[in-house]
Parts: sequence; structure tokens; C-alpha cells
Amino acid sequence: MAEDFFVREFPNGLTFLGQRMDHVSSAALTVAVPTGACHDPVTGQGAAAVASEWCLRGAGRRDTRQLNDALDALGCQHIESVQSEHILFSAASLGRNLPAVLDIYADILLRPRLEDSTFESCRALVAQELEGLEDEPMQKCAFLLRERFYPYPLGRSIYGTTESLRTITADIARKHLHRGLAPHGAILAVAGHVDMPKLCDQVERLLGDWPDCPTQAVETQPAQGGVVHIPKDSAQVHIAMAHAAAPMDDPSYYAARLAETVLSGGMSGRLFTEVREKRGLVYHVSTRYHSLKSHAGMFTYAATVGPKAQTTFEVILNELRRLGDGIEPDEILKSRAQLRSALVMQGESTHARSSALCQDWYHLHRLRDLAEISDHIEKVTVADVLEYLREFPPRRMTFLAIGPTSPDVAALNAQ
Amino acid sequence: MEFHRAVLDNGLTIVAESNPAAASMAVGFFVRTGSRDETADVAGVSHFLEHMVFKGTARRTPFDVNRDFDRLGAEYNAFTSEENTVYYGAVLPEYQTDLLDILGDILRPALRGEDFDMEKNVILDEIARYEDQPAYRVYEKLMGRYFDAHPLGNSVLGTPESIQALKCQDMQAYFDRRYSPGNVTVVAAGKVDFGALVAKVKSMCSGWKPYEVSRQIDPAGANPCCQAIVDVKVVREHIALMSPAPSSQDEARYAAGVLATILGDDNGSRLFYALVEPAIADEANMSHLSLDGTGAFLSFLSTDPARAAQAVRITREVFAAFLEKGPSDSELQAAKNKIASSATLKGELPMGRLVNVGFDWVYRRQYIPLAEQIELLLAVGGQEVLDLARRYDISAVTVLGLGPAEAI
Repeated sequence: MAEDFFVREFPNGLTFLGQRMDHVSSAALTVAVPTGACHDPVTGQGAAAVASEWCLRGAGRRDTRQLNDALDALGCQHIESVQSEHILFSAASLGRNLPAVLDIYADILLRPRLEDSTFESCRALVAQELEGLEDEPMQKCAFLLRERFYPYPLGRSIYGTTESLRTITADIARKHLHRGLAPHGAILAVAGHVDMPKLCDQVERLLGDWPDCPTQAVETQPAQGGVVHIPKDSAQVHIAMAHAAAPMDDPSYYAARLAETVLSGGMSGRLFTEVREKRGLVYHVSTRYHSLKSHAGMFTYAATVGPKAQTTFEVILNELRRLGDGIEPDEILKSRAQLRSALVMQGESTHARSSALCQDWYHLHRLRDLAEISDHIEKVTVADVLEYLREFPPRRMTFLAIGPTSPDVAALNAQ
Repeated sequence: MEFHRAVLDNGLTIVAESNPAAASMAVGFFVRTGSRDETADVAGVSHFLEHMVFKGTARRTPFDVNRDFDRLGAEYNAFTSEENTVYYGAVLPEYQTDLLDILGDILRPALRGEDFDMEKNVILDEIARYEDQPAYRVYEKLMGRYFDAHPLGNSVLGTPESIQALKCQDMQAYFDRRYSPGNVTVVAAGKVDFGALVAKVKSMCSGWKPYEVSRQIDPAGANPCCQAIVDVKVVREHIALMSPAPSSQDEARYAAGVLATILGDDNGSRLFYALVEPAIADEANMSHLSLDGTGAFLSFLSTDPARAAQAVRITREVFAAFLEKGPSDSELQAAKNKIASSATLKGELPMGRLVNVGFDWVYRRQYIPLAEQIELLLAVGGQEVLDLARRYDISAVTVLGLGPAEAI
């Protein structure tokens, strides 16, 4: 299946990416605007999260209800989300409706109403979501770990804090959006059953005049790291730890993905085998790779009942460390098959494709086709993965536990 | 798209929707059994058995099972509900036969004592995991309350006590009652080679001995009430509401889906405007649970504990207002468009079609191409939706809250 890519960079800094998919009838749109949580103003943490709600509260000539009605009438499924570096607007519909969906998104991006009357409920919703994290310890673990692991403020929680949310006013959020909701570095990707050249002309017509605004680089401080236990009267102890990995544009990126898969791919990965299958210590254990532009990490998570927490931690740490001692050829073969197959399956989904186009462009400034990725995966050898693990060993780990107790993690940073 | 069907001599049915344009294929073994088919003394056995099915056979150790799936690059798993246990995998089309070799094999598990004892720990951890998720707990408690003594009120996971007490021979006895070939449907979707599929399933499953399996389909009685379960460890108030709805076999299920979307879609529904837009709740949605011989409308709200009673009152007002006047034309059209679009997107993935084709067969012995389903959906009228809401009385809700609030 050869991919049919379309790329157009506009003078105002916006990039349009397209992938035509003839075997489907849908199309998906992803707009990544580089004004994610790490760009939040110091006095307004959580601003991007509030903004992503607020942008949908009326745009152009439509108020909230009219905007929803217009998207619903097109059968458009949409979701707005905030990441560290971007606010993402994702939408999917039948391909033939996508041009009309794009018209509406041009309003959302260029002419959000941002009225005082709709602000407060957006702020309140984010505050409630933040509070709701207390009832979802697994998610809370992920947020807090990321915050401590990445150089500050790159991993900062998208929700800010109860106090910071309280200080955000409509004016602060509006100012932030006027600066941040701009075409410079923004990516608009579409995958699916659409006439791409025609759609690109439409993008030019709608967004070609989107006024650019210079972006400010984020100043970072060293990562906080360390070991933290957040006491909570929960049924399980939630254990999370992270260590550095090669970012997506690093030559050893594919070796990193193979290392992740040997460790945690499928049910025969080492962690699942050793922690769950052989010892019955947990229901869930996994390591997941995550990359920002210039930093990446391997994030490991497990949850278990208190009495098993210490052993769970020790077995996990041992597996992370043991990986560098050697990998069987069969493990690499299996991991390659898993990665290649996942790639093909993602290639069937318009949504997964439009989001992958955005990622490729943001991290690599080019698009990779299936054959290229497959080829890279194929070429990674055991020696490459071991070499990678010497460069990115599971050392200097950030550790976080939520639960009634925490394991003793002295072994974590011992040599 | 082409539909195929075959039945083995022992009663095992094979159905497939073949899409030559797909890049992958998916297969599932749909076993018509779940927590509603359990007796109290083996509560949680269906789900525990689902785990044990991955623990090996006469010719595969648990590690072989995992390794063989992963060698194919398969995406695979299983799930257990009140009514079904489904084992599935998706692979590139060239691995269809290899995938079936594993699935067909593990569906006759060894159920070894040492594996059973080890996996018991995992199940207990899974129960603890859900204990930390109040949104799930309130669902489970509501099912118990709403269905009362009806077996649909049984917990899928069971309790720590029921799992601790469970013995391997109890599980074997349950397996021998429920996993007859006549109670299993092999379903495939995507780029399927049906001839090869039938040949492989035959070679794997022809030896399965058939026996009689039945399910009790008693009428389910609703139990309208409103109660707050106080748990001060929970921060938000998690509220679930349930009322009667059409069953899986009922043609009114299309209208029921439209009704749930108008009232409780995540975006742009009546509950959205009444609760989420003004930030009274950060979550408010409604769905239609279509079950075997019965059905239910299920809504979830997440609110500040102090506003829980207000949120429930507003939800009741939304339902009452709908019973008065029904949907507007634009609401009706928007709901239908959203459902059609979501079905189309899901239908583009073999895994999405697998579930749809599988449950159409399991519940109704019927195959309806996606395009035809969308036509049936688009034919739903506003009066039909209103009549349905009145016939089932959406205002007769059983309401449970879980969290710090003393009253809702």
C-alpha cells in the first residue's frame, strides 16, 4: 500500500499535510497548534486546557449551540485535547463532509468568540477535571510523573493547580490565546477520502491570511526528578517510574522502540512474563515510550495490593536493568513483527493516520511512509538495541507511588 | 463486502464479512456466556475462566500461548461481560491460519491447578484495581440494584471472597456447561479467506463434543429508587441512572440509540447543555445497553458532591421535558448523523466490524450490511423516538450516587 502524501507550507508558518486513502469513506482532520501546556503563562497554569474548551464556545457567526449543531449536522465527531507542546483539535466525518468541517474549524482557529459569558464554565470544567484525577489514581500517577521527569515546564500537568486555575481570568486566557493560537508552527493534517489538492486550496483560502505571531521559546529548568510517595487510602499501590529515552528524531529511535517492545510488547514481553505470568504480582504492568521534541522517556507503571508492592518494584527494576545484559534473537524477531503489524493496522484508521502525519512533521519535519518505517524496524539488530541501552540505561530514574504505602526504592539509584 | 456462513456438524457456527480492500483481518470466538449465567457460589467464574483460557492447553504452556500470538504481531485480548465472553485477535491476512491455530487451541484450555492458583492473585488485583475506580464501582452497584435478584445484576468480576473460594474443578464444571460448540460463534472480518477459515476451524474444533446449553431469559424488573452510597474516600460524586429500554432483539433498538444520543451524547446533547456547558457536571452522558431479552438506558454524571442533588434534579427535568415534546427535527437529524458517522468510522477497521457482525449474529442470528444498518437508522422518525421514550418511561429511573454526598 503506497502512501499518497501531500505537503504544502504556507508563508505564515502553517503546514498542510494530506494523505489520500481511497479504500475508506471517512476522513480525519488533526490540527496541532503549538500552544500546549508548557506554553502556559507562569501566572495562568492550566490556561491551554481552559482555552481548548473555550475555543468551542462559539466561533465566527455561531454561538456555542450553533457551532455544535453545525458540526453535528455534518456527522462530525470531534475532540479537543491538550498536550505538553500542542493544543490538538481532532475531527472525523465522511470524506465528502470534510470540506464543510474545515470551514467551521477555520472559524474556531481564527475567530473564536472567547466571550466573558462563556469563560467561567470552561474554567470550572477544567477545575473539576483536575479534582476528578483524585478518583483516577492511574492517570494521576502518569501526570505527576511526567511533570517531575521532564525539564520543567515541559511535562507540567495540563490542568495546572487548583490555585493557578483560580487565578486565570478571561483576560489572561484571551491574551494567551491571541498570542498562541497562531499559524507559526501549526500543522493541519488530513487523512482519508478527500481530494487533497482541492482541500489544500481551501486551506489556503481559509487560513492563508491567518496572521502570524512570533512564538517565544520555552525556557526550561532542570527536571525535578527524585522519589515521591503520595499517601492515599487506595486499594492498590500505584507505582510509576521513568527514565530517559532517545527522542523521535534521534538515530537510535527505532532501537528505543524495539527495546520498549522486548520489555513490554504484547503478553510475552519481559515485564508481563516476569511480573504477572510467573509471579502473579499485578494485573497491569507496562512500559511505554513517549517523546517530546527534544526529550523522551520510558514510562513504567504497575499497580498491586500493598503486600506485593515491594516485590513488584524489585522485579520490575531487575527487568529494566537486565535488558542491557542481553536479548535473544527470537525476542527481536517477535518485536519487529509486532511493530510492523501495529503499523499496518494503524494505517487503516484515518484518525490514526492524520495524527501520525502531525507527529512526523513536528518531530522530523518530513513524512515517513510505511515502507520506510518497516525498513528501519527490519534493520535494527540485537547489537543496536544493546548499544542503545548503554546510551540510555535505566538509571537516574524518577519514581512516584500513590497509595497507602510505598516500596523501599533505595535500589533505584544504586549502581 | 461479502457475507459467508458455515456450520460444523457439532453445531459451531462460523460467520464472516470479507472485505478484500482491508489491510488486516480479525477473528473472534464469541462464547454466549457471562456473569448472568453464573450461580452465586461461583460468582466471577466467567471472567476468571477468560484469564485461564490464555494459560495453556495440552500442547501449549501459558508462555507458548503469549509467545505464539506475539510472533504473529497479533493484537489480541479477550473481554467478559454479563452476557458474553469474547476472545479475539487481529493480524495481517497472511497469518489468518496461524491465528486460528492459537485461538482454536486455547478455547480448550488445560485449566492446570498451579496456573489457576497463580492467576487467582491476578484476578484479586484486578478487583482491587476497579475498587480504585469509583465510576466503575457505581456502575456495578447500579446493575445489582436495578436488576435486583435477576442474574443480570451479578458482578462480572465477583468478589474477593467468591474468587478466593473458587476451586479449579468448579471452573471446569462451568466450562463443561457453557463452552459447547453450539454456544460458540467464530466471527471474522476484514481481508478474510473464508475457505481457509472454515478448513482451519474444522480441523481445530470438529472434535469438540456438543451438549445442550441454555440461558434463562426471565423478565427483568426495574427497581426505581434514588440512593447515595457515602464513601468519603471518593472526591467527586459519581452518579449512575438506569431505566428500562428495548432489548437486543427488538427492532426499536435503532430508535433507542437515537434517543440516547439526543439526550446524552458527549457533545451537543440535552444533558450536555443542561449540565456540562454550565459546568454543573464535568461528565454527563447516556447510552443504550441492549441485552439478551431486555435492555436499559444508562446515564453517568460526575459532579461536585455539593451539586449532586441539583445534577440529578436537572437530569430528571431533562427527561420529563423530552417526554412532553420529543425531539426537534434538527436534534433528530444530528443524532442520526452522529451515529451513522461513528458506525462508518468503526466499520473501516476490521476490529470494529468484528464486534458488530459478531453481536448481530450472537443476539439475532442475522447479518445486516453496514449500509443497510445506516438506512434503518436514518429511517427512525421523531414520533417513533418520543413513543419509545413514553412506552419505556425514561423518567422511571433507578439512581445511585457514590461519593461524599449524603443525599442526591
